[in-house]
Amino acid sequence: MTEQRKDILDLLVAGKITAEEAEQLIAALERDQAPTTASHDARPKGKVKYLRVLVDATDLGERSRVNVRVPLQLLRAGVRLAALIPPQALVKANASLSDSGVPIDLTQLKPEQLEALVEHLDEVTVEVDSPDATVRVFCE
Amino acid sequence: MPQLVTVKVNRPDRRPVRVWVPVLPVALVLLPVVVLVVLAAIVACVVFRIGVARALGAAWRVISALPGARFDIEHCRTAVLVAIR
Repeated sequence: MTEQRKDILDLLVAGKITAEEAEQLIAALERDQAPTTASHDARPKGKVKYLRVLVDATDLGERSRVNVRVPLQLLRAGVRLAALIPPQALVKANASLSDSGVPIDLTQLKPEQLEALVEHLDEVTVEVDSPDATVRVFCE
Repeated sequence: MPQLVTVKVNRPDRRPVRVWVPVLPVALVLLPVVVLVVLAAIVACVVFRIGVARALGAAWRVISALPGARFDIEHCRTAVLVAIR
């Protein structure tokens, strides 16, 4: 029995709510829990290993398709390699990004943050559907 | 470490090209070049004050993580596939 269900029954026993109200509350609780369980079951079990990028586009009647599979381990290794970039190079990169209209301060981007980002990529699914193109980014 | 790199190229009106590259034998053949590249990387690390061991370790991690990567790109009737195993 869940804690919330027990609380509802305690309220019923204490006479603070009627049996009908208790039934409504339990029904509402079950409705809330059902989608959560379903979404957990929908995810593949076990640790994900690859980042997949699928693009299917049609440009002027010509079909283009991209199917890329990148091991997450490669992303982690890339993050470690990027952590070796000397600060003076980051300053120059910041200036170039700023000139291009992308004001991102790369010196504030810590390797730990990037590693955490890669670690949680398995929870990310991006799907873009437009008349001309379909893009899917997910982990498997 | 990668064992085999597969490259397939399909172009319209041309014979499809399929190349299987065994990484280790090719790396052994290219060993003198590999040694020169590593030396150049070490010099670059010293010049830019980057830890040589850390840099070589990170580069090795990248190479070790390559197996499983696959890039399949198709446009019109031209298709390129690069798969690393």
